[in-house]
Amino acid sequence: MINHWTFRCKDVSELISRSMDEPLPLRIRMGIRFHLMMCRFCRNYRKQLLIISRAMQSSDARNASGDFSRRLPDPVRQKLKDLLRDHDPS
Amino acid sequence: MTVPAVHQSSSPDTWVDTYGDYLYGFAFYRVQDDLVAQELVQDTLVAALEARKNFSGNASEKTWLTSILKHKIMDLFRKKYRDASLDAGDLDEREIHARFDHHGRWKTGPARWASDPERLMAQKDFIEILHQCLKELPERAARALTLRELEGESTQTLCKVLNITPTNCWVILHRARFQVRQCIEAKWLK
Repeated sequence: MINHWTFRCKDVSELISRSMDEPLPLRIRMGIRFHLMMCRFCRNYRKQLLIISRAMQSSDARNASGDFSRRLPDPVRQKLKDLLRDHDPS
Repeated sequence: MTVPAVHQSSSPDTWVDTYGDYLYGFAFYRVQDDLVAQELVQDTLVAALEARKNFSGNASEKTWLTSILKHKIMDLFRKKYRDASLDAGDLDEREIHARFDHHGRWKTGPARWASDPERLMAQKDFIEILHQCLKELPERAARALTLRELEGESTQTLCKVLNITPTNCWVILHRARFQVRQCIEAKWLK
């Protein structure tokens, strides 16, 4: 990655991910942008990574991020209730 | 000047029935282990009981309990990874290498995803497939990406929790995103 005007797709895919985690230096951002202008595959890649990121941050995804069909087994449920009762200072 | 109302939390007797299953499902999704998830629920409820007088009522009780659980889960990860160095598999980039030629160009580039982003995300299938694809990632990669995107943790925090250097953190996140994208493309576009 010596010459940032000639980033390869492989580098760019890595840098796109990295740009989602921390700000990159200007010259790197310029290099990415320059590459994206010429490369529709990397444009697709970037767009799709952003979609995935937004989808994961969406409330739909957050609400679905649990195995909510699971039920606490009855003995465990009872044990927890007993425990709360014993611990309750009031 | 009005003093913000301080609500009492509901009686702890009712917590197990009201929130138990929810907390359990939340925990299980993140730790993928029955007993560990149950223990987390227990620790959460006991901690909540002790902290009950601090419950301000600014958040809903469910949100409050969930945030306690989240802390418990992070503590668990911290302990789990404290002595665990990275596997070779965690940094294995062969799957990525395979997608590029020796000039670093895509062999088969990412296809265009037909529908526009808003419509795509509104589809239940898409979110479902996303979750399936997350499950196919190696453990630490899945954890890194979900902590980053789903829980909104900073890269710094998640590096620390997962006990990896920043450089490895980026490699792992890159790999995770790369694979999830590829997985979605394969599952969803066919």
